[in-house]
Amino acid sequence: MNPQLAGRVAVAGVGTTRYGKLPEYDAYDLGVWALKAALEDCGLGFGDVDGLIINRIADYQRFGEITGINPRYTTITPGQGRFSGICIQTAVAVIAAGMAEVVALVYGNNGRSAGDHYGGASDAYGSGGAGLWFPYGMTSPGAFHALMMRRHMEEYGTTTEQLGAVARAFRRHASLNPDAVMRTPFTLEEYRAARFICEPLRLLDYCLINDGGVAMIVTSAERARHLRKPPVYVRGFAQASALAGSTFPPDDYWRAPMGRVAADVYQMAGAGPADMDALMIYDNFTPTVLFSLEGFGFCRPGESGPWVADGKLELGDQFPTNTSGGHLSESYMQGWALNVEAVRQVRGECGARQVAGANLVQYMTAAPVITSIIYGSEAAPA
Amino acid sequence: MEAKPLPPDDPANRPFWEGAKRGVLMLQRCLDCGRHRFPAARYCVQCHGDRSAWVETPGTGVVESWCSFHKAYWPAFERDVPYDVVQVRLDEGVRLFSNLIGTPRLGLRVRAKFEPVTSEVSLVKFVPA
Repeated sequence: MNPQLAGRVAVAGVGTTRYGKLPEYDAYDLGVWALKAALEDCGLGFGDVDGLIINRIADYQRFGEITGINPRYTTITPGQGRFSGICIQTAVAVIAAGMAEVVALVYGNNGRSAGDHYGGASDAYGSGGAGLWFPYGMTSPGAFHALMMRRHMEEYGTTTEQLGAVARAFRRHASLNPDAVMRTPFTLEEYRAARFICEPLRLLDYCLINDGGVAMIVTSAERARHLRKPPVYVRGFAQASALAGSTFPPDDYWRAPMGRVAADVYQMAGAGPADMDALMIYDNFTPTVLFSLEGFGFCRPGESGPWVADGKLELGDQFPTNTSGGHLSESYMQGWALNVEAVRQVRGECGARQVAGANLVQYMTAAPVITSIIYGSEAAPA
Repeated sequence: MEAKPLPPDDPANRPFWEGAKRGVLMLQRCLDCGRHRFPAARYCVQCHGDRSAWVETPGTGVVESWCSFHKAYWPAFERDVPYDVVQVRLDEGVRLFSNLIGTPRLGLRVRAKFEPVTSEVSLVKFVPA
């Protein structure tokens, strides 16, 4: 990425719906609800939006019709979690290129009420060739990550109890978040007693499936300084991918592409892992958190299990992670709500779960497309 | 009782399934660079050549990982849970998901064993080599 872009674009507004089961709302309704909240958050109106990036909602045209907006930049992306980071990066580039001044990013997910399943006959995870493996009983993104985790356990001695430490930390955080869907903390014994879905992964290693919507308003740093809330600057962003052969788990747990993203994003932000005040790690399944910590250099390859086991990811410890509860316990908003949580942490709006002095917060996704974004309270390193 | 899912009847992959039925693991091989592939594709992922042929292979490889399904995503699998799915890397470099008749471990050498599931279709499963 062009380091010149560091701190030139900011998040001005964020908006979220209630999360849970909202059968009276479709994905468009949830998107509009979130967008209204995000515009209210920054003091702008629908008429100010001149860039529109839609994710998971089926049709951008209908979204423009029902909101009455005519952007001069429009795009739409598939409803895969890796696209939240991609969309935010696109928004930054669109702003920096002068293609739009105020980009609205809108996400709506009625997966719970629509009865979405992530395994079985409708499984289209990855590149969609999954039907070939159904006769052997192979299906679901959860199984893909179970295969990765089993291999990590065999190679490095990682344990499911260490996954339990991740799940428990995020649930503890969710207990402090009134918006979270799952708020009751659990013990390691309760984690162990949870049923296996695809061993070595248990129910508590899986993200939720729920309804909700998220929107973000992104604009130039200059314009953001004149809006309702203090700007949250995009200090760094980077992307890489591992698409080749991606029907199968990557040999290296995505370390090579994550290493490239890490080098780029930290260089752009003028900061390193140790400077991060909080982390937002895409937690579709608990093992992804371990792979991300290794790939971004928070610990050495293979050492993430013991590294998380002593509470490093918990509020009050070294790297408070997914302070909202994440996908495991707050809401399955496919990365969007984690980016909003990053913004709210930098603003100091997180109440009981606020990280004191959260000046730099990093979002990261480990998947066939890897993204990371570093948000900061200042436009440049002090 | 509801049957388990069968492989999609993709004409491009028929030589694989016809091979399985007669007990041979067939792969598509690029005639330009020699790389093997499955499922079938028009172009080679390595050299992007479009000339290929189906070839017989020994059906041997190693177990790269495995997982154990406790949830049945199809009713027909309810009688099997928990059951294992293994990730096998064939010696030709091609990966398959399958089932192992035996106990999996990382790096276990395996060979294909063909299991008829209908009069027309045999699945490619594995046993320790």
